[in-house]
Amino acid sequence: MSMQELFLKLYDFWSKQGCYIAPTYDLEVGAGTMTPDTFFRVLGKKPWKVAYVQPSRRPTDGRYGENPHRVQKHFQFQVIIKPSSANIQRIYLDSLTSLGINLSEHDLRFDEDDWESPTIGAWGVGWQVLLDGLEITQFTYFQQAGGLELYPVSVEITYGLERLEMFLQQKDNIYDLKWSDDVSYRDLRFQEEKEFSVYNFEQADCQMLQSWFSSAEKEAQRLINQNLLLPAYDLCLKCSHLFNLLDSRGGISVTERVKMIGQIRTLVNQIAKKFVEREGES
Amino acid sequence: MEFLLEIMTEELPSSHVKSALSQLEEKFSQELTAARIGIKNLKTLGTCRRLVVLADLEAGQPDEEEIVAGPPKHISFLADGNFSSAALGFARSQGIAVEKLEVIRIQKGEYLGFKRLKKGRAIEEIIGEKLPAIISSLTFPKNMRWGERSFCFSRPLKNLLCLFNGQVVPTEFEGLSSGNRTSGHFIHSPVELKVNNFAEYYQRLKENFVLIDPQERKQSILRQFQEKLAGLNAQVYPDEGLLEKLLWNVEHPLVIMGSFPEKYLNLPLEVLATAMREGQKLFSVVKGKRQLPYFLGIADAPADPKNFLASGNERVLKARLEDARFFWENDLKVQLSARVSYLKNVVFQEKLGSYGDKVERLQKLVAYLADRLDLKSDRKDLSEAARLCKADLLTGMVREFPELQGKMGGLYARKQRYSETISRAIYEHYLPLSLEDSVPESAGGAVLSFADKLDTIVGIFGVGFTISGSSDPFALRRNTHAICKIILEKKFHLSLSRTLDKTIGLLADRLTVPVDQLKKRCLEFFEGRLRFIFEKKGYRYDLINAALAPGIDYLDYAEARIKALNELKQSKNFEQFILMAKRVKNILKEVPKIKLDSALFKEKEENELYSALRIIQNNTEDLLARGDFAGAQKIVFRLQMPLNNFFDRVLVMAEDKKIRNNRLALLTQVQRLIQKIADYSQIVVESETK
Repeated sequence: MSMQELFLKLYDFWSKQGCYIAPTYDLEVGAGTMTPDTFFRVLGKKPWKVAYVQPSRRPTDGRYGENPHRVQKHFQFQVIIKPSSANIQRIYLDSLTSLGINLSEHDLRFDEDDWESPTIGAWGVGWQVLLDGLEITQFTYFQQAGGLELYPVSVEITYGLERLEMFLQQKDNIYDLKWSDDVSYRDLRFQEEKEFSVYNFEQADCQMLQSWFSSAEKEAQRLINQNLLLPAYDLCLKCSHLFNLLDSRGGISVTERVKMIGQIRTLVNQIAKKFVEREGES
Repeated sequence: MEFLLEIMTEELPSSHVKSALSQLEEKFSQELTAARIGIKNLKTLGTCRRLVVLADLEAGQPDEEEIVAGPPKHISFLADGNFSSAALGFARSQGIAVEKLEVIRIQKGEYLGFKRLKKGRAIEEIIGEKLPAIISSLTFPKNMRWGERSFCFSRPLKNLLCLFNGQVVPTEFEGLSSGNRTSGHFIHSPVELKVNNFAEYYQRLKENFVLIDPQERKQSILRQFQEKLAGLNAQVYPDEGLLEKLLWNVEHPLVIMGSFPEKYLNLPLEVLATAMREGQKLFSVVKGKRQLPYFLGIADAPADPKNFLASGNERVLKARLEDARFFWENDLKVQLSARVSYLKNVVFQEKLGSYGDKVERLQKLVAYLADRLDLKSDRKDLSEAARLCKADLLTGMVREFPELQGKMGGLYARKQRYSETISRAIYEHYLPLSLEDSVPESAGGAVLSFADKLDTIVGIFGVGFTISGSSDPFALRRNTHAICKIILEKKFHLSLSRTLDKTIGLLADRLTVPVDQLKKRCLEFFEGRLRFIFEKKGYRYDLINAALAPGIDYLDYAEARIKALNELKQSKNFEQFILMAKRVKNILKEVPKIKLDSALFKEKEENELYSALRIIQNNTEDLLARGDFAGAQKIVFRLQMPLNNFFDRVLVMAEDKKIRNNRLALLTQVQRLIQKIADYSQIVVESETK
């Protein structure tokens, strides 16, 4: 099954589960969790079901295209169900079956792995899902986001699409994956990985990134004061990506790291609080 | 009669399963005992999806006599002795003939009332009522909520099976109703199973790929290990911790075996083991001490006929090893010494500065220690090891596998051709990691570990941190233990007090706690930990008090003291001697300093004691200087006879003040000598306790 067939099958499966299929968000994020379709919707009381593909950038994971498993950008398939349904584990297993995986021939495990994102003041409890030892999904019951206790609780299912594809196509090298029948992962992504690894590790201008970070941070605060919460959140995402770039350049000390994460979290927590208040009023 | 409870959940972490089962056992035993229900053979079983309680319970609560109290006695009778209207009204309301009422004394006083037999309640009823409270009372290190519930548990609850004597015990909990149904393996046999008793429960689960008894799963794993390795003539590298964890993670253990390309055997064993264990929870396969390119894993499945499980794990492990190789090769491109300057960016503790600052202090501290421990020839190497020892915090490998810190530094140092002393010292400088763990083998590793830990302890106390029962974020207890263990096992003879002075001096400009106070706190802390170590070794607390009283400046001597006391406590002189030492101590309470003048001796026994004392002082001097407290003690025992005679024949509290003071001065010298060995007055002897 090619990468794009996988997208289509998962879209199909989760759309039949009543999910709204969201378009991919148009900013750099470290994980599907960070886009507004998850972050804002898990806050407050309104039920929500969404599924979408989100490219996720983690600059430190770059390997110049030389490592067959690690890349600085990968694709996640993100599902949010709010409130979490009682049989969600079973539905998830059904989604794997719908991809043609015969679970009775494999070892599928829900292995303790709690999740936390200090940057957006969020944490949850759950598992990494292992299929014959390969982590294919992160499964999390969100307990907190934006520093707020969540009620009702949302469940997040994040499939790592390349991992799943390597399993389905029985490939040992990510670049050998078929994206479609004619186009390979290598055709699409190899050069990108090479160039971005050089940029992330060697070329990114730390001083410039620092100054962008502080501008974006100030702007986010200004927008929060204006109650423009969605644009303010976009700027927080920018801060987060700039921070990740600085980190991969080795340009941040441990104290600075704590400080910068704290700065973003402070902004995000304000946004979350105002957002929930606003939702309560409407 | 048989009681069976199964709480089904989504996958619990294995440590939570074990803790929940022991809590369940305790709570059930408490609650049922409190409800006066006889309970036998209470036991718990389980997997990551099931918490099971099994017990043999009495059929019901025994009947109990109950007192029904009415009006107080003083308003129950009229002046003529007949029942008052209050008494008549009470009898009517209870539907009992008034003549049957009697005066009963209860706690509040005397009342009119009657006794009746209260029927014991049915077990089903009691359990149905208690179960929700028992389940709610379970605690976990981390809890979660799910759906629209506010209830907290380790993971979501799925089903309740609760049977007593074959019948469902009806109860409701968090949206679940109890029943007699469970289900088979979540993936491999997700069918509903109806059961009437434990035998059936056990059997039906087994048929559906769930072994509910953890011991049975363990036996199965060990048997499969042997089967897999039979042809190779190899062994599993023992890892009890991992086995124990995985045991609870699976419902139906299946051991799988796979291999990896031999080229990865070039990676250090430490890296291989970590990639297998931490990364993927796999067991290493060894032949003697040699690592083989195989691994064993524990899957949760009935079988692997198509070899998907083994080959899947192989592919993932290969990817991890490939990444490890990337780190290994990439990290080696940079000399450790070139990384040192970047340590200034890595914070050790906000007020204590960076790791760069720390290693500068360590260089000086290890040089100081080398001079005092007769390691002068290693002085230069140790200082270099101190400079380099934290550089591996900046390597990719340690960032990926933090538990390899130190070890990686040592391995990189060796590869980059630093001396063996340097590499070993770096490699071992985090040891011992626990009270049970071994201390560094090399003297250099021991010195560096010592210095690193002492710098942390003094620094953290010195900027005002205190530790309490649960809060010890810098692991000061473990670090102090480690130092004690190193000193005792490596036989480091050095003054703790002066080493603390040196360490405090090196940290001086960063400290916020006054130096005297800090040193006192450190010494008290060391004494506390040393006491704990001695207690763990099984020494009597009074012997420990006696041994620690002369001070803990030289920890090796404190240990020699306790050993001597422990060795001699059986000897026939011991008890007499202790009593004598106590007598000396008592008589000397609040005695001023007086100079001894042998010309003032009047009695033969005074002279005899004095000359015995001088001989014994001479004979023990060397022994004490060497720390041979057992030897010294044996000689000091010889004081007993002259001291005895002295007390028998000589009146210490003589009328003549000069003579009295002189006798007290003589005893003061005796006291001073014996206290060099121990404070014997702390020791409890049998004749006292009787």
